[in-house]
Amino acid sequence: MSEKISFELNGQSITITLSPDHRFLDVLRKHLNIVGPKEGCGEGECGACSVLMDGYIVQSCILPLGSVHGKKIMTIEGYRETKRFKALQDAFLTEGASQCGICTPGMIMATEYLLSHNPHPTDEEIRHGLAGNLCRCTGYNMIIKAIKRAAKEGEGLW
Amino acid sequence: MKEKQNISVGIDNVEAADKIAGLAKYTSDIVIEGMLYAKTVRSTIPRGTIREIKIPTLPKGYYTVDATDIPGDNIVGMLRDDWPVFAAHHVNHIGEPIMLIVREDKAIITEIVNKITITYDEAEPTFDFTDSCEQLSFQKGNTKKAFKEAKKIIDYTYETGYQEQTYIEPQGFIGYPENDGVTLIGSIQCPYYVKHAVMQTLGASEDLVRVIQATVGGAFGGKEEFPSLMACQLAVAIHKIARPIKMIYEREEDMEVTTKRHPAKITMSAAIDADNRVMAIKSHVGLDGGAYIGLSKVVLSRGMLASTNAYTIENVTARGDVYRTNTVPNGAFRGFGAPQMIFAIEMFMHHIAKDLNIDPLTFRKAHMVKQGDLTATSGVFRDPVIMNSMLEEVLKQSNYIEKVKQYQHPESNKGIGMSWFLHGFGFTGSGEKDKIKARVRLKKDEQDNVHILIAAVDMGQGPKTTMRKLVANLLDYPIEKVIFNNPDTRYVPDSGPTVASRTMMIVGGLLARATKKLQDQWVAHQEVVTEESYEQPSYVQWDNEAMHGDAYPAYSWGINVCEVEVDRQTYEVRVRNMWNIYDVGKAIDERIVLGQADGGQAQGIGYGYLEVMNHREGKIMQKNMTDYIIPTAADTPPMENTLMDNPYPLGPYGAKGVGELTLVGGAPAVALAIEQAIGKKVHTIPVTPERIMELIDNE
Amino acid sequence: MVENKIPTSYNEALKILATGSYQVLNGGTDLMVRYRGWSETRVKFKKNMLHIHNLDELNYITSKDEYIHIGATTTHETILHHPLIPEIMKKCLRVFASPAIRNMGTLVGNIGNASPAGDAVLIAYLLEARLVVESLRHQREVPIEDFIKGPGSIALAPDEIIKEIYFKKLNFNATYFTKVGGRQSDAISKVMFAAGYRLDADKIVDIRIAIGAVSPTIIKDKTIEKSIKGYTLKNLSNQKSMILSQYAAHINPIDDQRSNKHYRKKVALNLLEAFLNDIITRS
Repeated sequence: MSEKISFELNGQSITITLSPDHRFLDVLRKHLNIVGPKEGCGEGECGACSVLMDGYIVQSCILPLGSVHGKKIMTIEGYRETKRFKALQDAFLTEGASQCGICTPGMIMATEYLLSHNPHPTDEEIRHGLAGNLCRCTGYNMIIKAIKRAAKEGEGLW
Repeated sequence: MKEKQNISVGIDNVEAADKIAGLAKYTSDIVIEGMLYAKTVRSTIPRGTIREIKIPTLPKGYYTVDATDIPGDNIVGMLRDDWPVFAAHHVNHIGEPIMLIVREDKAIITEIVNKITITYDEAEPTFDFTDSCEQLSFQKGNTKKAFKEAKKIIDYTYETGYQEQTYIEPQGFIGYPENDGVTLIGSIQCPYYVKHAVMQTLGASEDLVRVIQATVGGAFGGKEEFPSLMACQLAVAIHKIARPIKMIYEREEDMEVTTKRHPAKITMSAAIDADNRVMAIKSHVGLDGGAYIGLSKVVLSRGMLASTNAYTIENVTARGDVYRTNTVPNGAFRGFGAPQMIFAIEMFMHHIAKDLNIDPLTFRKAHMVKQGDLTATSGVFRDPVIMNSMLEEVLKQSNYIEKVKQYQHPESNKGIGMSWFLHGFGFTGSGEKDKIKARVRLKKDEQDNVHILIAAVDMGQGPKTTMRKLVANLLDYPIEKVIFNNPDTRYVPDSGPTVASRTMMIVGGLLARATKKLQDQWVAHQEVVTEESYEQPSYVQWDNEAMHGDAYPAYSWGINVCEVEVDRQTYEVRVRNMWNIYDVGKAIDERIVLGQADGGQAQGIGYGYLEVMNHREGKIMQKNMTDYIIPTAADTPPMENTLMDNPYPLGPYGAKGVGELTLVGGAPAVALAIEQAIGKKVHTIPVTPERIMELIDNE
Repeated sequence: MVENKIPTSYNEALKILATGSYQVLNGGTDLMVRYRGWSETRVKFKKNMLHIHNLDELNYITSKDEYIHIGATTTHETILHHPLIPEIMKKCLRVFASPAIRNMGTLVGNIGNASPAGDAVLIAYLLEARLVVESLRHQREVPIEDFIKGPGSIALAPDEIIKEIYFKKLNFNATYFTKVGGRQSDAISKVMFAAGYRLDADKIVDIRIAIGAVSPTIIKDKTIEKSIKGYTLKNLSNQKSMILSQYAAHINPIDDQRSNKHYRKKVALNLLEAFLNDIITRS
């Protein structure tokens, strides 16, 4: 049975009539043409599908549409319009933190969540903050450097 | 004229800004109006004959696609053509593809797949190393004599497990009919491998098959030959149904049925003389090829060629077999046979030294390769070998010698390990000349933009950036005016597959020559096209039958040092630090090379202590990212990486190969560190907590 | 086809449950994985689902007398950062899964799934938590060890919901938590160990031990704990091997794709022994 589900997506009100047992990732990618969040594992392990829900990072591949009703969702498509994103993008570029790039949008959303709660994280805090976002290319160290750079150069943004 | 900047200084990766912003288009992001989906029906048994397939009545418009629909050969064209596109009568591993179900409604497709029943006459499967189907051997000096004269003979056996590439983007293609032919867009490393395989399966001419690379979300060898299988299946489906079709693997499907690093069993035997020198090494490499051999023979050869690693040994006998088993076929993975052998030889040299009561570092140094020495296959190390200065530097950075002493104390629970390694780049021996025959093209258009036309794929390792930088630097021209789009076989010549760490050295080398030509022929506002093809350096002599001579024109070198701590209650390993040093000739872009280093090392140590995959009666047990453990940010240690300058005269700006080099030494470095921390010899990787417990308990 | 409902109030949720044909879907971190289908298709739930994750009425952490109450839709991340929560729970949640999973998953949801490897479930056992279970018919309370009957099996009627979990504040000298997973984070446990004790001079006045992922349900034996209470540190030292063998009798792990039974048993006993040694040498 379909239900009317309403939520805010990147600042826009959305109402969609769909069964609440759809994976939110599919709703984004198939129904709303939001393809920045990627499917890597389909079981909440790799983090490529990460989005923010009311400011909290969640894995959209195991998020039922029913849980999104009444929430505010931010994906990379919305986030990339912000100053914070620009600071992260510059830092990721400068440090070489993106290789194949499939994990990167999720990694950026995880970083936003981390920095918004902890604007000056230590290495260890970054490592644990990214624990739900797997990357097979970089070995993470350049990502960690990029986040520290963004925290420093984007001082005051978070 | 302004002074040219040092080529090695890092620049921003040209693709990364879009990737970071979520704008890059991967295969699964591509939507074609009216496209259908395909799902694979697979064998559920490891070996048998298909007796009957019961298919429920299909709803209108739903299709099956199987071996009977193949217009050409039911074979995936690879190095050894033994791998069927669809199983027609026999199945040889669990998960072997039998047919596709195709239509637009995924829920109905799933229902159909679930309702199909297949009955088999089951046969006894083979899982052990008994059915040898490829053999190789080579000989240097007189091993027999050396063993006869030896003061002491030392033998060890080493074993390595599966490793899954675990690219974060699963395998996938989307294809559509175009001008009586088929066009395929996919997550691939080798556009021309795919094209040639599809031509063979469709029985189609060159002009009817077009292959385009989408943005690739990681590959690591996993998208070298396996995509050819998917592409052939999809091409047959498109040929039959004449609609666009998308086929993206789910993660579990990907982990269960795609190729992995070959599990290996390696026996080593050394003849030691009165001065405690290794006079001879005999080795045997056994690889589990899985159900179909594909390119396993070349993996075996790569492994055997590394059998003396960065040591000069006078007398060598190397033998190897690929065994056929009723398991998922194994294939390409960064390192390609070398990680198995380099694990074995590094442990072996260490274990010999321990058995002889000699300091392992001193012992290894006494055997280190020098310029002019002969390789395992009696080729020559022609170029300067700077391992000594690399060793000095990394010993200093890591404080290795002091730590070795300190961690000898059994209560420390700490250990430090070091690996040495080399890696030859390009196809082995005369493979580049005889098999690949790479061609590259540069086209300057009327707006004076320079187009790089090669089949090399950027799967994250950076050729989009480095190739543009290379051409721009040689032309002293703005990089923005140099264009390098994703390869499309309609427009680019076959510069060979994106494998074997060959892209910068071989393809980049050809591009450098083509650029020189372009410069000479440059006429403003007119189209100018230049081409170059591969020519083997005249000094390279290789006898493929005897495996004798120069297996590679030159080698890259490296040293990894790894420090660990082992928990005495849980036997868990924490990798605390890594120090790494490389001679890659000349880095075309330091930032990119250092990124390769970090990533390769993480995969290398993951292979050594973390990543467990096994099968039970042919069924892969760790079939998702929860159960197959790759390192997270919390597992990966800080890494210090140093690049040495040692330009190779025939490489572009002196560049040699990079990609695989950074992986091959990780496993022995971490295994040797664990060995010290627990005070027990390690012979098998991954060195899991479960194995550490056994080693400690079996006093 | 299964039905899905999103209640707008707790009372509405109870009414829908009263039909007896709905299963509660909370954070979804377990069920969405277990019943996942091909991408872009509906999740293959076997029952009608009641999506309660947005019920703010059940999203709370409160303290009454010596007790702390946690509502059903309160996520792990909320629990982790709440000032009322005891340190032993925080130790566990810090290394539990990943930030995203902690933002979605709930403690009550994990208990509802009754996984023997559920990290926070182990702590609920250690805290001797009780569950408030409600339906339109009644409200009842049940200790966690009576509620969880086996892997995936719980004592919950079709019209009932777990409304909240509550436990008494701890008064221990020290608490211990070890999670052994395949990697440092983002991992399912192979073995889990949690414990705490309180000393009065050199006498043990309280001790609790919980061991997870080594038997069908979490091991927490009040009889053994009771027998240890009153021991002096010297008694404890003398009785150590006896205690270890009592626990060893309960530990009955399995071989699976993540580890093997020998390792699980040995590590569980190692952690228990290290805990006991720590008390003994603390004097």
